[in-house]
Amino acid sequence: MSPDSARRAEKLGYTNVKVYVDGTPEWVKRNYLVLSTQFLKEAWIDKDIPHVLLDVRAAKDAEAGFIKGAVSIAAADIEKSLAKFPPKDKKAPIMIYDQKGGDDAVKAAKALIAVGYAPVDIVSGGFDAWKAAGFPVQTGKLAETIVYVPKPRPGEMSIDDFAKIAKTTPADTLILDVRNRDEGNAGMIKGAKLVPDEEILDRFSEIPKDKKIVAHCSTGVRAEMAYHKLKEKGYNVQFLNAKVEINDKGEFKIEKP
Amino acid sequence: MLLKCISTFSFAVALTIGMFAGQAVAQEKAAAPTKPTVAKVCGNCHQPQPGTIRGNFDSVAYKTRSIQVKIDEATEILRFDDKLKIENVQALVDSPDQPLRSLKKGKEVRIDYTEKDGKKFATLVSAKTPIKVAPEKMVKTEDVEKLVAQGPEKGKYLLIDARPLPRFQEGGIPTAINIPFPAFEKMKDKLPADKAMLIIYYCAGVT
Repeated sequence: MSPDSARRAEKLGYTNVKVYVDGTPEWVKRNYLVLSTQFLKEAWIDKDIPHVLLDVRAAKDAEAGFIKGAVSIAAADIEKSLAKFPPKDKKAPIMIYDQKGGDDAVKAAKALIAVGYAPVDIVSGGFDAWKAAGFPVQTGKLAETIVYVPKPRPGEMSIDDFAKIAKTTPADTLILDVRNRDEGNAGMIKGAKLVPDEEILDRFSEIPKDKKIVAHCSTGVRAEMAYHKLKEKGYNVQFLNAKVEINDKGEFKIEKP
Repeated sequence: MLLKCISTFSFAVALTIGMFAGQAVAQEKAAAPTKPTVAKVCGNCHQPQPGTIRGNFDSVAYKTRSIQVKIDEATEILRFDDKLKIENVQALVDSPDQPLRSLKKGKEVRIDYTEKDGKKFATLVSAKTPIKVAPEKMVKTEDVEKLVAQGPEKGKYLLIDARPLPRFQEGGIPTAINIPFPAFEKMKDKLPADKAMLIIYYCAGVT
């Protein structure tokens, strides 16, 4: 969209228009982003979008007033606290604030970017700006442990819930194995029904409408496709978004990739 | 939720009218839930056309030869076979026979398809290519870093984030203002009075 915008600006007579083609994906590899306190509240906190919120002030300053959900790690302690952070490949967005949106936040952000975290965002104006905007403030002890749970995809069932169903095979639930026949022949979860994903559209009649359907495959990809097909037909369906290995005894191992 | 209700409802309607064989086919079509075929982000430049979907690539399963594509909130799944044409996709070295695996989740794609018995069959997957920008008009990360370090007054520049507001709200490059591409006309007054001033646009890159 930026090249199109640039073209239109030139049409208006601007003579020195450039495009930063690499844009945000490259920027965040070496630099932090910024957002206002209002954006932090509206785009992240109010919408409950998973993120990590760091209060990098000294713990005693933070306890006098902080933003709900923040974890306390002083700027100077970031480097020795890296083990507390979610693995980098989770790409957890990290929001950092200090008192005024100053050096502490920048220092903490740089320490995280230097070891490969992205995206890292600094809250402009820091806690003072948050308070000045009249947003809610909490006092007391801050959390010290970072909890980051990526938002599940629509229809995704937790591994724990799936494992429970697979072990107990409740009567009101059908586990639908959507792998192909060869995979099914090598071993299936007890009580599961095999309908390869590519056959689902032709075999709706074999899939009961009065049961909850839980689809799985070997990675979650085909199971999700099956989920959408069944969902569209009005089924009560969920899917397992995880790696599954099943042996010829029906014993299974589930792993989050 | 609303969508789900509509689709369930229409399905019921389709079933009912299906009993009156004669005109059923035409009516069923009219009553079928109309899924979008062009994602909003693609709709800035492209109109819907029959037999073509434009959206964001989601996943591929070579075992079942299926592609999953997102059209905003909706999801479309299409089958394909060996005859599938693929454009603008560079296969990864470790899976040369499965080029669609190299497509990143979210990549804008156009899919041409045929439909039979309500099943969509992809004939072409074409990934969006970056719009060409003349080399002299491009700036690199280092250039932007230098300017941002100086600030707009000293660096005499205006940095503009052309992404939609929700993306900008999630975090923008320091000192940038947000003028989403579709709002260009409406927000013309945000551009500087000095027509010779350096203006730099960015968005979410070429991917």
